[in-house]
Amino acid sequence: MSSTATQPAESQLSNALARDRLGVAAVVFFVMSAAAPLTVVAGVVPTGLAVTGLTGISIAFVAVALVLAIFSVGYVAMARHISNAGAFYAYVSQGLGRPVGVGASWVALVAYNMFQVASYGGFGAIGQPLFQDWFGVDIPWYVLGLAAWALVAVLGVRDVAVNGKVLATLLVAEIALTVVFSVAELLSDGFHASAAPVDVSSLTGAGAGALLVMAITGFVGFEQSVVFSEESRDPRRTVGRATYIAIALIAVLYAFASWAMISAAGSDKVVGRAVEEGPELFFNLAAGPLGTIATDLGHILFLTSLIAAMISFHNIISRYMFSLGREGVLPRMFGRTVPGTGAPKNGSLAQSVVGLIVIVAYAVAGWDPLVQLFFWGGTGGGLGVLLLITLTSFAVIGYFARHRTDEDVLHRVVAPVISAVLLVVVSYLALDNIATLLGVEPGSTPAIVVPTSFGVILVLGVLWGLYLRGARPQVYNGIGLGANSSTTGGGGGFAAALAEPTDPADGGARR
Amino acid sequence: MALPPQLPPADDLYLTAHDTIRGKSLLSPATLGLGLGAALLGELMLWRRVDLVETELIVIDERPTGDAATTALLEQIRREAGQHGVRNWISYLSTGIATDLVERRLSRGGLIKRVEKRGILGTKVSFVPADSMTAGWPATRIRTKVSRDEQLDVADLLLAGLILATGLDQHVLATLNARDRATLFDQFRRLFPAMLQQLVAHAEAAVGDAVLARRA
Repeated sequence: MSSTATQPAESQLSNALARDRLGVAAVVFFVMSAAAPLTVVAGVVPTGLAVTGLTGISIAFVAVALVLAIFSVGYVAMARHISNAGAFYAYVSQGLGRPVGVGASWVALVAYNMFQVASYGGFGAIGQPLFQDWFGVDIPWYVLGLAAWALVAVLGVRDVAVNGKVLATLLVAEIALTVVFSVAELLSDGFHASAAPVDVSSLTGAGAGALLVMAITGFVGFEQSVVFSEESRDPRRTVGRATYIAIALIAVLYAFASWAMISAAGSDKVVGRAVEEGPELFFNLAAGPLGTIATDLGHILFLTSLIAAMISFHNIISRYMFSLGREGVLPRMFGRTVPGTGAPKNGSLAQSVVGLIVIVAYAVAGWDPLVQLFFWGGTGGGLGVLLLITLTSFAVIGYFARHRTDEDVLHRVVAPVISAVLLVVVSYLALDNIATLLGVEPGSTPAIVVPTSFGVILVLGVLWGLYLRGARPQVYNGIGLGANSSTTGGGGGFAAALAEPTDPADGGARR
Repeated sequence: MALPPQLPPADDLYLTAHDTIRGKSLLSPATLGLGLGAALLGELMLWRRVDLVETELIVIDERPTGDAATTALLEQIRREAGQHGVRNWISYLSTGIATDLVERRLSRGGLIKRVEKRGILGTKVSFVPADSMTAGWPATRIRTKVSRDEQLDVADLLLAGLILATGLDQHVLATLNARDRATLFDQFRRLFPAMLQQLVAHAEAAVGDAVLARRA
């Protein structure tokens, strides 16, 4: 095909690879589909208002966006220098040492799984009254949750590329709908521009930590942009731009939509209405100007938004397990894929088992799917991701302190240090406010269990990492390298074949 | 009955990666491309035209290979010498170029046939093995030799390595028992040149990266 065309000084290879690579828009799309805008605006925000009674959410979205943007400066810069850039633990392994990296990988798996099971609870709880309304049948929430679970489980082991197109279409529809509904709320009868959602003092008052975690929950997914560090058209610019654009878009959309919602309900009445109406609040407020067809459409997209979030997190989790399986940190079977589709099937199946157990447990125990599964799971996962981001910001500082690179001082030192300081403050506030966030008494079981469990998992992961250092040095050396750990003797089927008997000797021999 | 001939490793890998009757690929296009790309580079190494030093491809002999596919590739590597690492070469070849080169070579040899299927959305071109026995032979040969404790030659070790790297072993080597697997793995370590070991390891890492970047 390319045998006769001679193009002096032009590299056919570079051109062909460039054509195949992703631009800014593609990366932004990908990131925002995990963020699932309508789930956050109509699901997390009203539930958060009801549980915490705090209204300063718009300013919290903006503040979190600023912190994450500063964090991203160093994060994206480091992504250019490491492999397996899609996973926080790769940064932590290389910046703070491999044992801490293993701990981080376990925390990440737990946090992302919390998001995943949260979305099943949300789908069931939100779907139940809708199905009642549309079809006049009262389906228990867990039946709907299990139906969504089955769909995700099947898609998880099937072709991923098809999912991408569907997700992109739904995302555009979701964003458009969020904007239209918010504008409709501006035009509704009760609308009165409120200062409460943008009150800066709410960021220093009681409950600030709870607001910030809720806001971070809305941004989770932004960290996935760096998956494409090596795939992007211009490695120095594309991913960075896409990350900042995604953060800015999410911040503006969420801040505007929550401001419109709180203003339309009235800042003094919104908490009461959120308790009464739950996730319906966002739709009810816009129903006046828009009519029922629009709200039905909104409800449908709300459900598809939850499904899109489920699929995104499911894919993130199964790939996390895939890269850990390739490295040998988790059993090697997780490093397997379906040959015909490239779907990481064992990671996918493991996630589905977790989802099934949680749905059944909640159904049997009779726990509330909306507050205790959707909101606690989502914000608990948000807290976990916040702690991971904080750890990663120190890893970025550590990495650039030890490695000589061509990054300038802004990317290497200034931005990482500022973001690390800010993130420590946010993490402290979050842990301090955990009872407010969950809507429980300070010192009660959930307020202790949620933060402690992340600590315990981190410590267990670190211990496992230390065990690997002594017992399986070859696996240890590959931690954080993902698929590329096969070049140091971990990895998939072939590398495992080479590695088997001469375990300690082989690791450093090649490369 | 005479056994089918041993083909170049990329051709054998192509046949192994497709249904022997209907010609449907058992791998995703990206994974197939990565495997075939590495196989073509491996052929150039087997025929002593190219060396893999660290991560660079070095041309050691510019003479044509006597085969259009690898000669074209050799010429291109020579032209762009020193500009790209082996991982970039594999990625480049995986964009459909390797698959195309191998399909041409196989259909020139009469081993696969071009089939056009007319549908509502235009004509679909696919390739179907001319003879399902020949198409199934490479995998059968490896399974048989391994279970009889016979040595595989380097070309077949390259094929077997790429079968593992692409995950095809779940289809074609699933019947090997633990002892057979150990035998095969032992041959990789003792008989497979280090340079080709590294090439296959790079291919495997590329397949894994494609999964992580959601391209597979």
